[in-house]
Amino acid sequence: MLDGFEILTTSGIVLWRRHYTPISSSLIDSLVRDVFIEEKQKPGGGENGAPSYKKDRYTLRWTSAKDVGLVFVAVYQSLLHLSWIESLLTAVKGLFIKAYGQELKAAHTLKVNTAQWDPTFDALVNRLDTGSTRRQSDTIDSEGPTELTPPSSSAGDDADEPPPVPAPLFRKPAIPIKRDDLVGDSTSTDATPIPTPDTSRPATPGHAPSHLLTAKGGPGKASRRSRKAQTFNASAPASSGDESSPGHNLKGGAKTAAKGKRRWDVDGMAIEGDDDGVLDYSAPATPGPDSTERELDVAEVNTSQMGSRTGKGQFVLKDLDDEVDAILASSSKPQQRSNATDDTTGSGLLASASSRLTSLFRNVVGGKTLTKADLQLPLQQMQTHLLSKNVAPEAANRLCQAVETDLLDQKTANYTSIESTIRDSMTKALTRMLTPTSSLDLLREVTSITSGQGAPARPYVISIVGVNGVGKSTNLSKIAFFLLQNHFRVLVVAGDTFRSGAVEQLRVHVRNLSALSQREGVGKVELFEKGYGKDAATVARDAVAFATNKGAQPPGGSGQMLYDVVLIDTAGRRHNDSRLMSSLTKFGQLANPDKVFMVGEALVGTDSVAQARNFAKEFVDTKGKLRNNGVGMDGFIISKCDTVGDMVGTLVSMVHATGIPVVFLGVGQHYGDLRGLNVGWAVDKLMK
Amino acid sequence: MTRLEDWLTWTLSPSLSAILVTLIFSLTLPILIHTYLYKRAVAKELPTFLLLGPSGAGKTSLLTLLSNGTPSPTHTSQAPQTATCQLPSTTRSSEDKYRSENDTSSRTQPSILLLDTPGHGKLRHHAIASLTSPTALKGLLFVVDSAVLSSAAGLTETAEYLYDVLLLLQKRHTQGKTSKGPLAIPVLLVANKQDVFTSLPAGLVKSKLEEELGKVRQTRSKGLLDSGIGMDDDGEADEESNWLGEYGAKGFKFAQMREHGVEVEVVGMSTSAEGEDEGRVHECWGWIGANV
Repeated sequence: MLDGFEILTTSGIVLWRRHYTPISSSLIDSLVRDVFIEEKQKPGGGENGAPSYKKDRYTLRWTSAKDVGLVFVAVYQSLLHLSWIESLLTAVKGLFIKAYGQELKAAHTLKVNTAQWDPTFDALVNRLDTGSTRRQSDTIDSEGPTELTPPSSSAGDDADEPPPVPAPLFRKPAIPIKRDDLVGDSTSTDATPIPTPDTSRPATPGHAPSHLLTAKGGPGKASRRSRKAQTFNASAPASSGDESSPGHNLKGGAKTAAKGKRRWDVDGMAIEGDDDGVLDYSAPATPGPDSTERELDVAEVNTSQMGSRTGKGQFVLKDLDDEVDAILASSSKPQQRSNATDDTTGSGLLASASSRLTSLFRNVVGGKTLTKADLQLPLQQMQTHLLSKNVAPEAANRLCQAVETDLLDQKTANYTSIESTIRDSMTKALTRMLTPTSSLDLLREVTSITSGQGAPARPYVISIVGVNGVGKSTNLSKIAFFLLQNHFRVLVVAGDTFRSGAVEQLRVHVRNLSALSQREGVGKVELFEKGYGKDAATVARDAVAFATNKGAQPPGGSGQMLYDVVLIDTAGRRHNDSRLMSSLTKFGQLANPDKVFMVGEALVGTDSVAQARNFAKEFVDTKGKLRNNGVGMDGFIISKCDTVGDMVGTLVSMVHATGIPVVFLGVGQHYGDLRGLNVGWAVDKLMK
Repeated sequence: MTRLEDWLTWTLSPSLSAILVTLIFSLTLPILIHTYLYKRAVAKELPTFLLLGPSGAGKTSLLTLLSNGTPSPTHTSQAPQTATCQLPSTTRSSEDKYRSENDTSSRTQPSILLLDTPGHGKLRHHAIASLTSPTALKGLLFVVDSAVLSSAAGLTETAEYLYDVLLLLQKRHTQGKTSKGPLAIPVLLVANKQDVFTSLPAGLVKSKLEEELGKVRQTRSKGLLDSGIGMDDDGEADEESNWLGEYGAKGFKFAQMREHGVEVEVVGMSTSAEGEDEGRVHECWGWIGANV
């Protein structure tokens, strides 16, 4: 049952809404934020063109109309499976644009008069919503036989009438199933029950007869039935059945022809005839009038169903039906897009040459509507250009797809060619991808945690992870230098207990940094190490406890923290080595860092995508949820940027893979060679 | 056929009537073409007011309130939206500065263009582009959510965005290429959602934001250099140019922006309160009218 339907513009104004139950507006806000703006979900992953998004216990499905800038969203409970939602969305989109398209295309429209839309929408819902529970059981049952057995006329029948077995015990389930169907039909607007009782019920008659029956035809039918019961108990009712599948026709046809009862004698042979004997003695005293009534009800539903399929049913708004049928038919047919620049219509060389000239002219002058064929070649060139800038193919592909969906069926502006339009769109897409949702201000965060606003003061913990040899220790000491210049007390922790010389390397860095800081009289830096061979996670935990200094009695102050910032270095590890990667999870949980930065070098190629993904998914907390709002890490540090010149595509690859922003860039081997990311600079370099 | 020939002969003959007709035709035709072409031309540019602020502050809601009179329900914006509206009849505009209150002559209120931009971090480039492009921008309405300012995270996000905007305005003023400089843009800080129980009053909003802006400018000045530092040739890494307000002052006050021509005023209101005087929209209109 639909919980709500909203029509909103891309600028956020709700043009029309219908809430059947109260829905908080933060649901659609999070849909817009997560899917449209931050693109956390892969686009186009939904069935039949209406992608879905789940949040709390709701499922939201939507469709959008780019030319008028509208988004249509349907909200329903995740437990239900409503297969008619896509057709509802398509129909609503078509009808709404037809009714209000002109008004919306005019500039500065903030609202449209939607008074006439309410009855249209109600009629549409009544037409398309045919009772969700029954629809679901039908689609599931009709899928079962087609998977396992060749479609036969009796297969569809199995849904409603279980095989008549001699024991009267098994006749009972026939009646409850039919009653459920009635309930589903007549009260389609009531809250339908969760369909699990419906699907689990056929299992009982399915399983039981298999060990009782000995006759020939029976076990085949019963085992087919039990197999069918097993398939739709095992598989989730997720796929939506096509409403005009042959199963429905079959079912409808088979229902009208009443199936004959079969009786078995003790020898296991079928007794023909004798249909009048009542075998079920537990049936109510007067089964006659009830059964005929039930028969009548079932028949009624049949004719109306078949009537709507042929398209001439008796509904309130007849022209609405025709329109809706046209919209649904046109959306389900495969689109044969006719090219605007189809230049094989003319005859011979002259026609093709003149059409090429006109298209060239249009390219220079502008005002050309872009089709898929127009965009194909320039987009390929753009993709090659991005690949030459060391962007991973996956990321380049996604960006080109985004540009294509953005520009399809748009008109180019005056005097702009297709190439420049694509360039503009690609610049916008790159900017949007690289710009973080909220920029990191490390100094503010450190100050607020160490000065203790709200929570008791504690040291700020930063840890650095990455594969071997990317520059973790070097960039860690650059960050330490930056923090020292801002008068913080820094504790450097040698968490790399594996590689020979790692502790000595950090000792050299700390010696240099303390010399520099003493010269300028700022900050204090120390090294915390426990030698080689220990577990890195315990070293980190001990270091944080040492820096926090709770309960100890130091010479100055009682229980004051000794250090403001704790920087933890870790061992480099290959991202495809699962044993080493799993130790990161324990490290994350024991050390509990405020920030986890992953270092990636700008020189790496396509491997950056896999590296980023594998590292990000390791940082789960004790409840199994990824830290930092479900992304895992807090930022990337891209090192060795001075060596690549213009080819800074690794930035894009890593952000594309995880959605985590780039926070620092390493541009050299001295302590001062650390920069923040300027998105305009990066996009310029990529598009040069 | 002969009639046509005769008529053509007449038009090319040196008779007085033909000359008069030609004269009239040649003089009125350009005027007609001009009026036809310029009827379709863009009218005189309307004064523009830009609505910006962090996500969830109520900018789109304020846009619908100002243009329609009643707020529509809204969700997160993905794209900017423009709306034209006319000042309400009760508002005095700057054109009526010297007009007496009892003046009964009818006057048409000026109309304005309101530009609403998305507040999400990834889409702030729309607002920045509108600030830097040369339109007839007369004022900025920075909408903040007064309820979220009581939490540290919300205060930080709002302060950082406000810092970026004010710094942009300051640079626009101080780094002008000509001696005249661009016109100053006043800023109205709208403390929205005053009807929420946990909201801070307007005065407190102002002081909290000033304090937070002071902290932000401290850390930004000490922060890392940008990677695009060698990008623009004429921009030098001058500490003073990146310091908001008065260089070297202890705390930040909005009054320090006055020397850069940026007047900041704070108004508290609510878009979803019932009743005219409850919502206090007329204060917004008053400011808009004064700055048209």
